[in-house]
Amino acid sequence: MSIPISTVLSHKKLILAVSFPVVVMAWWAFRPEKLWINQKVNEPAPFASSSDPQPLYTGRLQGQAHQTSGRATVYQAANGTLYLRLTDFSTSNGPDVHVVLGREEDENLKQEIVKGQLDSIELGALKGNQGDQNYDVPSSVDLGKYDAVVIYCERFHAVFGLAKLEQF
Amino acid sequence: MASNGKIVLGLAALACTFGLHTSARAQDNMKHEDGMKHEESMKQDNSMKHGDTMQHEDKSRTLETGTFHGKVHNTSGRATIYQEENGKLILRLTNFKTSNGPDVHVVLIAAKDAGDDANFLKSNTERVELGKIKGNEGDQNYEIPTGTDLSKFQTVSIYCERFNANFGAAPLEKF
Repeated sequence: MSIPISTVLSHKKLILAVSFPVVVMAWWAFRPEKLWINQKVNEPAPFASSSDPQPLYTGRLQGQAHQTSGRATVYQAANGTLYLRLTDFSTSNGPDVHVVLGREEDENLKQEIVKGQLDSIELGALKGNQGDQNYDVPSSVDLGKYDAVVIYCERFHAVFGLAKLEQF
Repeated sequence: MASNGKIVLGLAALACTFGLHTSARAQDNMKHEDGMKHEESMKQDNSMKHGDTMQHEDKSRTLETGTFHGKVHNTSGRATIYQEENGKLILRLTNFKTSNGPDVHVVLIAAKDAGDDANFLKSNTERVELGKIKGNEGDQNYEIPTGTDLSKFQTVSIYCERFNANFGAAPLEKF
């Protein structure tokens, strides 16, 4: 008993005829080649004006020892200088309150009162406990390392509030 | 000595209470809107006399921003909504990265956030279509249809229409 050669051929043809569209459909649906093909774009900002300050980092302020809210954003001006801008800002007023940069993973910043020596960079005394305000940031600061804005009461070592800076 | 300590503590408490009750309000402008600097640049422009047109002040405002999260399809970066001077809303993605895929779109969804397993069809989540994704990497802009209520559509989603999969979501917060 042997199957005629023509039937084997037609079987093969049938399998091909069925499987080809299935493969095409599967390819169309999943586009597996896209797993390793990247499509990179680089559009400019819609309002492109390089003379405007560019936001580099931003974060939301969260209250710690005192209720604190608002946004902290580090801008780079056209001339390269960095400054921190607080917007929608509100914290409690207090004695000797400063704006400093700290390290987010610093254990000292996890508590309301700093027990040890706070590794920080001073930006200046708090101008107001409410409202929009700017602080110059020394250009030498490594913002990858000092990645937290801290509203810090120097007198009582109290962390009023803190914002983790994330890349804009 | 003990009473001395008490006096110091008392004074500190007093300082605190007085401090806590008064508010000091600051109102700095954005630096590029600073009147002084503007005047300076105008002077410079006049002195140059090149007939260069004054650069117009950029009146676009940053309304909202948020960062993407999405583990299954490795989505990261920032989504920011700007309002141009003419009122038009633009969504801009920066430092953006997601996985490439078929029929991927950028949408706004009427939700506070969305997880990797979110199914917008099942949950019947309202969406605003912003367009097919331009690239799975890099900075890109999308126009938001006029009349879109941003207080309702609070999250940007990278959404694979074909499989109804949420590649990543960025909950937006006030800038």
